[in-house]
Amino acid sequence: MSKAAILCVDDEVVVLESLEIELQKAFADTYVYEFAQSADEALEIIDELVTESVDILVIVSDWLMPGIKGDEFLIIIHQKYPQIVKIMLTGQADKDAVNRAINFAKLHACLHKPWNNKDLIATIKSGIMKL
Amino acid sequence: MNTGTTSNYQGNILIVDDTAANLRLLSEILAEKGYKVRPVPNGELALSAARGFPPDLILLDIMMPGINGYEVCQKLKADERTCDIPVIFISAINEVLDKVKAFGVGGVDYITKPFQLEEVLVRVETHLSLRFLQKNLQEKNEYLSQTLQQLKATQDQLIQSEKMASLGQLVAGIAHEINNPLGVIRSSVNNITAILDDNLEKLPAFFKSLSPERYLDFFNLLHKSINQAESLSTREKRLIKRNLKQELEALEVENLEHVTSTLVNLGVFEDIQAWLPLLKDRDSENILKMVYALAILQKSSKNIATATDRAAKVVFALRNYARYDQSGEKIEASIIDGIETVLTLYYNQLKHGVEVIKNYREVPPILCYPDELNQVWTNLIHNAIQAMEYKGNLIIDVTQQNHHILVSITDNGKGISPEMMPKIFEPFFTTKPAGEGSGLGLDIVRKIIAKHQGEIKVESLPGKTTFTVYLPSQLQTK
Repeated sequence: MSKAAILCVDDEVVVLESLEIELQKAFADTYVYEFAQSADEALEIIDELVTESVDILVIVSDWLMPGIKGDEFLIIIHQKYPQIVKIMLTGQADKDAVNRAINFAKLHACLHKPWNNKDLIATIKSGIMKL
Repeated sequence: MNTGTTSNYQGNILIVDDTAANLRLLSEILAEKGYKVRPVPNGELALSAARGFPPDLILLDIMMPGINGYEVCQKLKADERTCDIPVIFISAINEVLDKVKAFGVGGVDYITKPFQLEEVLVRVETHLSLRFLQKNLQEKNEYLSQTLQQLKATQDQLIQSEKMASLGQLVAGIAHEINNPLGVIRSSVNNITAILDDNLEKLPAFFKSLSPERYLDFFNLLHKSINQAESLSTREKRLIKRNLKQELEALEVENLEHVTSTLVNLGVFEDIQAWLPLLKDRDSENILKMVYALAILQKSSKNIATATDRAAKVVFALRNYARYDQSGEKIEASIIDGIETVLTLYYNQLKHGVEVIKNYREVPPILCYPDELNQVWTNLIHNAIQAMEYKGNLIIDVTQQNHHILVSITDNGKGISPEMMPKIFEPFFTTKPAGEGSGLGLDIVRKIIAKHQGEIKVESLPGKTTFTVYLPSQLQTK
């Protein structure tokens, strides 16, 4: 059986690298970790993972990104894959955008940069627990 | 002085004559016509009466004991309180009236004794109405200059609040610009701490356990990782991972997923055969894990350094942007530094699709109001990227032409239509949706440039709009 995946989306590679280290440390090889620098790229990855029948458990997404913004992206995801746990991790998001994500993407949580590693891991865990 | 305000008020007249009969006669004539009259018999009293309560008109005899009429008039004209009061001289017909002298010392008219009743009244009336008109005009002027003052203050305020508004728009982006590096810093510190906690004590035993070959492999791998070039994009990384995974699978490497991702993160994906002995070693997992841990230490501190630089750059730009010189005097500053400050603050809005092409020539610093010029660059750059809908080329030219520094900001957006063109500098004109622009941007831009004795010109075609700012470079000399 293939492993389940956690997908992180942020336009900055260094942020993704930091997240990868944190995830590795917290969950080791329990999950597959995928990273995308834009919503478009994330959608591609999701398609690939779905074709490979890898379950996507959690998406952690930035809000301010090139092209599709975080709230819009998560709403798209929610329409196709309502079961995926959606978390926003952002340095700056307007309230309306967060509210849209809560209402239309069933946002699990919105964390703010600079984030706290323990909070992030706890939030991901609590999301997975709900599944 | 509140004279002339009541409707039946006709004027306050001071009459100065040493001949009691004349004094009485004039007083009666004028009082009868409704004027308020104050008769005084000599020059000294005339001066103190005029200073104590300035009349609207003075009838002044010339030949008087003590100080004569000319001298009284000169003194009145020399005094700020009384200089505006019109003086009509009174002269006996048998006296030699020096008209030139009378006008020379500041008289406006003269009447002769014996008095022609009608003539006196007409002259008095004429000069009083002139006086009232003049006063009225003075009051209006004063009012106008007060209004002008207020308008100037309001304009300064508008410039300031426009600046705060554009700053407000920037703040959102800046929060992101600062929180991202802070996020990286916090995360990296966490990761470093965790790795040190987990591995520090294990290190001596770990090294002891290594065979000479693996010891060499360990450091080669570490060097390779430390010296790896720029971070790969996620796309590149995925592609590399996929290829490496196939390669390693063919080589029958165990723990495929983990080994692949560790090697890619270490920057090791070429010439993989060379590492095969290590990968096949029964201690391979342990060794890779330790290299990876140490590589993360290195990588994390590098990331902290980069993130710190970035946050510092943003803060520096912010401080420059908001620099407000309380003295209100021009200071010497570089135009290019100002533009760069604004670009740093706009980086966040530019990086996703706007290519900034800078053609900077070296230009001397000029005496200017740098914060206000920053506002000009902010407005022009903001307009340009909005016109391009955040995608396209932003070209910034800075050159020197004779006695001017030229700054051109060009976008390849949809352009300004000929109908819009005449209006764009008008206050409150905006093409942006309500709430997004005050409509004051370009009006203020033009005012700020005018304050620098400069000029702004615009040329626009669909796909090419250029705003050119001309600033006199001789502003550099005080």
